[in-house]
Amino acid sequence: MAGEMIIKGRGVMPGVVEGEAVVCPGGLSAYGGLDLDSGVITDFENVNHGRTIKNAILILPSSKGSNGWSSSFTAAKVAGAAPAAWAFSKVDSSVGVAVVTVGIPAVVDFPSDSDPCLKINTGDRVRLDGTLGTLTVIKKK
Amino acid sequence: MHLHLTDHEKKLLSGHMGRLKQVAMENIVKFAEVVGAGRLCQVTKAHLYCGAHNYLKVCGSHDFHRIFTTMQLARPGEVIPFTEIDGGCFAQSDVSVSDFHQYESLGQSKAVFDENKHFLVMARQAGVAVVGTCAPYLTGWLPVAGEHFVSTESSVTIVGNSLWGARGNSDGIEAAFWSAICGRTPEFGLHLAENRGGTHHFKIEANLVELPDWDLLGKAIGRVLPANAVPVLTGDFPKPDFNHLRQFLTSLAISSNAQLCHIVGLTPEAPTIEAAFKNVAPQGEIRITNKDLSEAYELISSPGEGPVDLVSLGCPHYDLSQIKAVAALLEGRRVHPGVKLMIWAPLSIKYLAEVNGLAQIIEKAGGAIYAGSCPTTVGPCLLDPLRGLVFDSFKMAFSAKNMFSRPVYFGGPAQSLAAAEAGCWREEFRWQAK
Repeated sequence: MAGEMIIKGRGVMPGVVEGEAVVCPGGLSAYGGLDLDSGVITDFENVNHGRTIKNAILILPSSKGSNGWSSSFTAAKVAGAAPAAWAFSKVDSSVGVAVVTVGIPAVVDFPSDSDPCLKINTGDRVRLDGTLGTLTVIKKK
Repeated sequence: MHLHLTDHEKKLLSGHMGRLKQVAMENIVKFAEVVGAGRLCQVTKAHLYCGAHNYLKVCGSHDFHRIFTTMQLARPGEVIPFTEIDGGCFAQSDVSVSDFHQYESLGQSKAVFDENKHFLVMARQAGVAVVGTCAPYLTGWLPVAGEHFVSTESSVTIVGNSLWGARGNSDGIEAAFWSAICGRTPEFGLHLAENRGGTHHFKIEANLVELPDWDLLGKAIGRVLPANAVPVLTGDFPKPDFNHLRQFLTSLAISSNAQLCHIVGLTPEAPTIEAAFKNVAPQGEIRITNKDLSEAYELISSPGEGPVDLVSLGCPHYDLSQIKAVAALLEGRRVHPGVKLMIWAPLSIKYLAEVNGLAQIIEKAGGAIYAGSCPTTVGPCLLDPLRGLVFDSFKMAFSAKNMFSRPVYFGGPAQSLAAAEAGCWREEFRWQAK
């Protein structure tokens, strides 16, 4: 569609989801920094402190902090508060584990000139395609 | 990249060796595909998150195997009993939600304590040694150079990689169980020699003298370190000991996604700066000064003065030399009646502290040694009723600030004990640059 920005990474969990982006360019310390029942970010340093990731398209550079990082998202999924889909500038091992346990559409490994953490802002409406490996900004906030 | 599996790995995947190993292997294979690994490698040491941890409550069950299947195997529709681990992997447990013996002094119910104990027994029956420490190396769990390990502690991952040249990635609580069960992890990231070179050069100009200086250094570097980077440190600082290094690496790991850090002339893969970078030019050079340590301190320690109900030392868990130092500071002094003073250590170290009369000195002063958990893992039942907390660990203070809305103070051991004696935090206890 004319005017839509599309960036491409590597699709690692199939599925197409549209939703509102929540972008944390500095990462998210999820273990202890995420309320598991509501999906609200409690990481006190986080730029999106107080915002929920529930049903959002969560965009992060990679994992951050504790090795319990993936377990917070696994638990949020069980509690019904997980994101709808997610994208990571670069995969790391904790991201790899969380992609498997949460099972939502996922795209990783974007080229540095199309870093989703820099190209997309919180509040943008985006479409994530975990099969094609694309992130499309449908409407800028 | 196409994932190559050996005949043994294909057999695990086929279900010939049981459903538990099959599911563990299915997850490891999917994990390998997500991270782009070409093959798997054998894991011989695992450090696992066993016990009835608070976050497991989302499952809405008290059935050990159902919780394990949903939360660790990520198969919510099934119940697959956790009854064995791979014969070639030695596994021991990380902190659980309880002390080994005490619950009342932690504000914890007997029901939670008993459930935690039951979950540890189940893990032990599956072949996991119940040890209950975030510092498994203090109990002999020591992967050597080149050995592939998994840990549920970010501090153990970065210590194992950095100080011993062993090989591990952060992975996660769930994947550590998968690896322990099937004996495999994707050969990816730091399991591969070619990925272990430094990426960013940190020139240390800050004065690093005492433990909290090194602790703050971890945060000072972590907050500016790009994702997926490997820092290389150079500088003219006094030679750190193991406790300085593990404190620094712990706060670096909790502040970033760093899993490996080279210190030129000190760590085994960095005899020279060229070796640390594997002869590749650094992607960036950053100076760290006292100002950066001061900024890190302002981020973590609440301002002002105030009442204190809990002073806790030992994150990561203390070794015997640290307990000896605390006993020497406490001799002849008394903790304020309103303050809980806790020192956290592995159970074996606690026993040695009793054998050496150190535990008795600490108890006479009004403190106690605890084993098996830590304040933020015990969680709200301990922390919610309190007015102010003091920790001698950046990581513990950071974790507490995410779950506790009242003041959290960070100081070195001597300053923390002074606060325990006074029953409050004073400006004079605040960390100062040297």
